[in-house]
Amino acid sequence: MPNTAPQKAKILVFSTEKISDPAIDMAGLLKLHYPPTVNTITLPCSSGVKPRWILHAFEKGFDGVFIAADGSDCSYGESCTEKTGNIVAKTHEMMKERNIDPARLKMAALCSVCSEAFVKHVKSFNEYLIKSSK
Amino acid sequence: MKKKIGIYICHCGGNISDYVDVEKVKKAVENDADIFLAKTTMFACGDTNQNEMVDDITNMKLNGVVVASCSPKLHLQTFRSVSERAGLNKYQYVHANIREQVSWPHSDDKLGATEKAIKQVKAAIAKARLAEPLEPMTITAQKAVAVIGAGVAGIKAALQLSDMGTQVYLIEREPFVGGRTAQWERIFTSNETGKEIISRLYKDILSRDNITVFTQAEVVDYSGSIGDFKLMVKVAPRFIREHCVEDNLQKAIDVCPVEVPDSFNFEINSRKAIYNHYPSEYPYLPVIDIQNCTRCGECEKVCKNIDFSQKEETLNLQVGSILMATGFDPYTPADNEYGYKHIDNVITLPQFKRLLALNDSKLMYNGKVIKNIAYIYCVGSRQVNGDNKYCSRYCCTSTIHAAIHAKEKFGNINNYHFNRGIRTYGKQELLYDESSRMGDIYLQFFEDGEPQIYKEGNKTIVKVKDVLTKYKELEVEADLVVLVTGMVPRKDNAIGSLLKLPRGRDKFFNEIHMKLRPVETVIDGVAISGACQGPKNVTESVNSALSAATKSFSIVSKGEIDLEPVIAIIDKDNCTWCGACAEACPYDAIQKTVDGDKSYAVLNSTVCKGCGMCLPVCPSDAIDLTAYSNHEIENMIDALL
Amino acid sequence: MQSQIIKESFDTLVVGGGIAGGEAALNLANNGYKVLIVEKDLSIGGKMILLSKVFPTLDCAACITTPKVSEISRHPNITIFTKSEVKNIDKIGAKDFVANVTKQPRYVHVDDCTGCQLCEEACPVSVTDQYQFDLVGRKAAFIPFSIASPKVAAIDIENCTLCGACERACPTNCIDFTQEEENYEIQVKSVVVATGFKLFDPLMIPRYGFGLYKNVITSMQMERQLAPTRPFNTVLRPSDGKMPDNIAYVLCTGSRDLSVGNPICSQICCMYSIKQAQLIMGSLPMADVTLYYLNIRAFGKGFNEFYDQAKGMGVDFTKGKVAKITEKENGNLILRYEDIETGKVSESEHDMVILSVGVLPNQDANKLFSKEDLKEDRFHFVNQPDILASPAKTSIEGVFVAGTATGPMDIPDSILSAGAAASETISYLSRKK
Repeated sequence: MPNTAPQKAKILVFSTEKISDPAIDMAGLLKLHYPPTVNTITLPCSSGVKPRWILHAFEKGFDGVFIAADGSDCSYGESCTEKTGNIVAKTHEMMKERNIDPARLKMAALCSVCSEAFVKHVKSFNEYLIKSSK
Repeated sequence: MKKKIGIYICHCGGNISDYVDVEKVKKAVENDADIFLAKTTMFACGDTNQNEMVDDITNMKLNGVVVASCSPKLHLQTFRSVSERAGLNKYQYVHANIREQVSWPHSDDKLGATEKAIKQVKAAIAKARLAEPLEPMTITAQKAVAVIGAGVAGIKAALQLSDMGTQVYLIEREPFVGGRTAQWERIFTSNETGKEIISRLYKDILSRDNITVFTQAEVVDYSGSIGDFKLMVKVAPRFIREHCVEDNLQKAIDVCPVEVPDSFNFEINSRKAIYNHYPSEYPYLPVIDIQNCTRCGECEKVCKNIDFSQKEETLNLQVGSILMATGFDPYTPADNEYGYKHIDNVITLPQFKRLLALNDSKLMYNGKVIKNIAYIYCVGSRQVNGDNKYCSRYCCTSTIHAAIHAKEKFGNINNYHFNRGIRTYGKQELLYDESSRMGDIYLQFFEDGEPQIYKEGNKTIVKVKDVLTKYKELEVEADLVVLVTGMVPRKDNAIGSLLKLPRGRDKFFNEIHMKLRPVETVIDGVAISGACQGPKNVTESVNSALSAATKSFSIVSKGEIDLEPVIAIIDKDNCTWCGACAEACPYDAIQKTVDGDKSYAVLNSTVCKGCGMCLPVCPSDAIDLTAYSNHEIENMIDALL
Repeated sequence: MQSQIIKESFDTLVVGGGIAGGEAALNLANNGYKVLIVEKDLSIGGKMILLSKVFPTLDCAACITTPKVSEISRHPNITIFTKSEVKNIDKIGAKDFVANVTKQPRYVHVDDCTGCQLCEEACPVSVTDQYQFDLVGRKAAFIPFSIASPKVAAIDIENCTLCGACERACPTNCIDFTQEEENYEIQVKSVVVATGFKLFDPLMIPRYGFGLYKNVITSMQMERQLAPTRPFNTVLRPSDGKMPDNIAYVLCTGSRDLSVGNPICSQICCMYSIKQAQLIMGSLPMADVTLYYLNIRAFGKGFNEFYDQAKGMGVDFTKGKVAKITEKENGNLILRYEDIETGKVSESEHDMVILSVGVLPNQDANKLFSKEDLKEDRFHFVNQPDILASPAKTSIEGVFVAGTATGPMDIPDSILSAGAAASETISYLSRKK
């Protein structure tokens, strides 16, 4: 392989309208930088992400999927984190069946002002994905 | 019908176009399928562009529109209403966020930012291609508002809503109304006391028939949404029957043998287990603090209206909007922070203010007459190492005002202000001038030169390297040290957690946008006001309370409220009823239906809130969410690659 | 020729179409009340619409004002008179007010003008542009500024030579020199005073050399240099068009200063100066920025964090009062100041100086009422007789006040006070029913 500039991993983020997306917006407001290959799709709640969407993203060429979950702030109910966790666990199984490294799907709960946490998460995820693809 | 989509890419006057090559974005998408028109614009939200969009949509009969600009939290509604004005269904409008999530975070990588903007716009186009016209769901708004907290903000909001013709439930957790304001003595600028303000406002409340005040009341559960919240409120008993003769009650208070620290006076003195804070306090009736009452029965002997059989009541209220006015807590210094709780004559600003109120002719503390007072500013605010990076805003003025008051009331007082730069903004500056003229001494330090406080024999010494005198080391022997403690969010945040109100970086409740929507929260229908949103003085709290009252009123006065038509859609042909969706639903919106030999899930669309929790649990993928179908999401994912 | 008086009636008259007046009008209109906004200038949006970005979020000012202005101008319950003045308001009976309002001619038919700017190109007269705070010129036939509302041309008749070039250039024939002043008699049930503030004129402090030294400018002029619709597309110093690399801010220019008769703090200058310093460091990364200050008043939500951020970016904060500014031959400026930390009088050289001018009352408010007494405070701001419990009330029943008409205020506080004024007006109007 010829030397190439450090690659940026393609990361798909599922954010939530009222909690984690405002945190991602605030990262912009505070001019916190993260790789521009991180793209976001916003949903009402993180516990509504379908495994098939995640698998679709991997099939089409995303390197990683990051679920920015609502955590205990979710306005739809206490069970959000647990349910999002179940989705991730179930998808991890499906990924193993398809020979996809389960570590390529990550989740973390983000509050509406957790912009620094978001940036930290996607940066280290990006590094992991670059390293693991070599 | 063939799709005809129009795209508008905003420069945002440089906020976007300084980092994203908007022309390149336009070129990258203008030849895509279904794109009928692509434009760039200096300010998409400006009048000129809005009018141009209306003309374009009308003249070219566009049936899909995308604006790529700032966050949808700011202007999704603006462009939805543009679409509506042009006769396009507002749900066929799609927003792409290329400022907060593209140009700003990627200002370090213009090429990367431009590529990302293209992807985001393409994803929005993918969604617009599939966006169907939808009708919003409407509900009838309850013409009532719950105001949580009966401090000055809550009381003012309640009065205003009452004037506007709305039923108001004013819900106070404490046994008495007035909040923090009632605890202050004279308040800058009018010198009215907190008690006087609360008392004239409360008298006004008593004259209204559409305000119901609950004290010792807490919201313990809630359901519903904007326009129709259902609140469960628990009201604790006072254990005293109304219409009690005042004299006998005073006797009952006198005979009570229990003494507990008085939180109204920030624990500088004590009160009985049956108490009111001051004679004219509202409601007039005292209360028995049942946690500390020993049931000795002494009070019952002198007063016939004591009634220990009173029970807690549970009320169910229905309101169209909730207005939060839960206030703040004063910062509690850490153990030994400037000698707090270790040096006997170190107190906080709120304690000092109560001390001024409670002393008459001489200013005494711990049995000693006070002459020299040292004030140490910014305790718990502007912290270098702690989490509270914010300025508490009210404390400089409040301290100077109290220091002047002390001099005027007791004479023979020397005030030494150890400050980090006095912030008497606006007309409050006059007070700073007045205090300097009266001989108050100001000593300044920066964040790295905090004053030292220590004991030398019986003496308490405060020492600082004073910025104002070339960092000369100066010492003051203080009879009393007042820690100027700032404002922090309420420790007990039960109601905030219940409503899931998001907090800002300062941990106070957060508004949607400081300037565009300063009293609204992301929880539709819940407004915030006063110091629960961040430090504010009385005037500022009242201004925000009145703004919030108008906001709540505009919700309940509408009659009907449009809700987002995002709900689950169950494909009954694919459903084999396993019950997983019903189990996942937090709102019991899904029921089993039997039709001949087939069982399937049916959605109660009036209860569904569109969270989508039922989607991933369905083993046969028979559930979709409006506007978030597999097709839409997967096309968006494709576009983002 | 005495033109005929046009009579109209509304629920509320809002005097002033800045952000406070606009916000109050919107709140009233959204609750079903009919509102008339009377604005003296050619556009609504007040001072905020001319700003660059706003603290502490660094949102662009236009991003907040333009959609608001658009909503106001389109609202079916709001009528706007620009280039108009309230001459007098009187109470009639116990409840109502009658206002005499004069609309000055614009010499352009507003409905027909498309804002094409051909008249601007054709006009041979150049004068300084007040909307760019005299940094550049404009024509006598002109569109006030690119995000003005209404965005239509006007003729500056004082400077117009009546050459007719604009009339010939106008494709819609909307220029009309026969337009005359129109007089209205407006009956209303309530009034909101939102007359805003005036900026301190630094000519009053001759030792700072404003008007004499080209590279001493006001903060409002710097604001224009940093705005998206800015004149030069970068920050330049006026004497030679060079990009400055060592900029000084003189805080408290005209505030906390008894020698100019203004002892109070203007409440916004610290923060806007810190904001400008951050923006300058963004656009001129090599530039040094020094703020000469007495106390930094970073008191609002997110302000202190914003101040900390500026310190982190390398903005220099020097505690000291600037006594005098002198000019060198190369256009650079020598600041003589008392350095409080060293206790010495020091001098330093900068290539551009920004005077952070303060807030003064707009005394127009005090002339609105002839029979009733709209009380003012000792600084001539509108007095708030119940400042703690009802800050929006004035000394006249049915007259409320919003924004900086009562004293210095930042944008979030102005908006909240406008919300309060609207709220008090609604209760007043509902109780009257």
